[in-house]
Amino acid sequence: MKPNHEKPMIMFIDLNSAFATAEQQAHPSLRGKPMGVTNRISKECCVIAASYEAKGIGIKVGMRLSEAKAICPDFIILETDAPKYNRVYEKLVRIMKSYSPKTWMKSIDEGVIDFHGMEPVLNGRTLQDIGYEIKQRVKDEIGDWMRINVGIAPNIFLAKQAASWHKPDGLDTIDHTNLRKYYEEMELTDLSGIADRNEARLNSYGIMTPLQFLDADEYTLKKQVFRSITGTYWFKRLRGYEIDDYETHLGMVGRQWVLRDPTHDDVKLRSYLAFLCETTGMKVRFRGVEARGICVWANYRNGESFYAKRMYKTGIYTNQDIYRRATEMFNQRRLGADIQTMGIYCYGIEPSKRSQLSMFEDISKIDDITKAVDEINEFYGAFTVFMGTTLEGKKTIKQKIPFGGTQYFELLLKRA
Amino acid sequence: MDPTIQINEMVDVVPIFRAHASELNICMPAKMRYHGQDIEFTRLGMRHPTQKGKRMIHVFEMGDENGNDYRLEFDAERLTWTLVSMIGGIS
Repeated sequence: MKPNHEKPMIMFIDLNSAFATAEQQAHPSLRGKPMGVTNRISKECCVIAASYEAKGIGIKVGMRLSEAKAICPDFIILETDAPKYNRVYEKLVRIMKSYSPKTWMKSIDEGVIDFHGMEPVLNGRTLQDIGYEIKQRVKDEIGDWMRINVGIAPNIFLAKQAASWHKPDGLDTIDHTNLRKYYEEMELTDLSGIADRNEARLNSYGIMTPLQFLDADEYTLKKQVFRSITGTYWFKRLRGYEIDDYETHLGMVGRQWVLRDPTHDDVKLRSYLAFLCETTGMKVRFRGVEARGICVWANYRNGESFYAKRMYKTGIYTNQDIYRRATEMFNQRRLGADIQTMGIYCYGIEPSKRSQLSMFEDISKIDDITKAVDEINEFYGAFTVFMGTTLEGKKTIKQKIPFGGTQYFELLLKRA
Repeated sequence: MDPTIQINEMVDVVPIFRAHASELNICMPAKMRYHGQDIEFTRLGMRHPTQKGKRMIHVFEMGDENGNDYRLEFDAERLTWTLVSMIGGIS
């Protein structure tokens, strides 16, 4: 199969070091300095976004603050500010949508514009012209420190690759004319979706470079390397054919928490669990769904872990229901060991059937109470009314910025 | 580490509303009186809305000529300005 010769009509927009750049935009005194952002500042917190100045001296996303400080004692860290990032996100979406109705965000800092069928409104301008215009509009409408990378290609995968070709502030096009040249410059792990395990898998079949990956035949990739349809997907994806424009479905809803001070204190742990259950319940109802299954898990400080999950016959959507069932499972854990990370998620997600009348009065009462509490929290801010058990957890656990998805931003912004 | 100094005090503010300006510059605080000292803002870092319950709050991230950054919040319901925090000019 030859590379896709279609005119590149997909544009990928990537906001450079999104959270860190937004903070530098808001705080001019931090511009040009190595700085980063974390969810909650502590000695061992993780840098979840680093400015380009920080990245330039070797500070990476995911690094602990202590490691970052060892590299740069003047490294500045700020706590995340969700409304600020939401504003940047909203404005970016508005700019993107002004070019094509077929626009969607892949995450909080990445989006795709599909220009197929939009040729008449481009007035003869190329996508490169549009790309430079978007870059300027981002500076004019969001802030002069904001920079984006733009990638243009025949499919989403190559457009994303193009957007990361020359960071920061780049604009690149990949099509059949320069596809091989692009792959020549890259390593396997530079390809989105190829991390260590996939690299090892490819290496074991003698595929050491992206160019060798491109030249591998479909049969080898499908039947030997990936041993599934994934091999065919890669075969097409690498050549610029679109196979990533599907919609993903909600599979699970949950929340996890890394304890600043690992503990086996049952009262504290139950409160943290209650908080996690409340936020999970809020998310479940926010999405208009209910769950059939619950999973509770924990990682201990000594490296061991605990995991319990169960499916139920009826749907679950109230905080109390989630907490009651999660507690039953949480009680099965090994007592006395310090928990470092704990979490809960609901799965078996299905559309909510709450609008159906129930034959049982007590169920209808629970539904009414849940609705009333949600309305109070909607009006006065999240966690105005909450379970008593949650009190300690509410003091300790901070609402964090969701990575990847943007679907809970509205919920996150409703602070008390 | 975190250079932010938390203040959370109500302050006197002189704002400017521009009739013909981009959305970015349509409204911004020009001057603030804090502990008897007048501080003039020379640049707007970012303006963004947020909510406290149903109350609309406009956050203004401002800078002065000495390289200090200020976070001001305007409560659109109570009509109050609060100096939430500041970052002293970092050399």
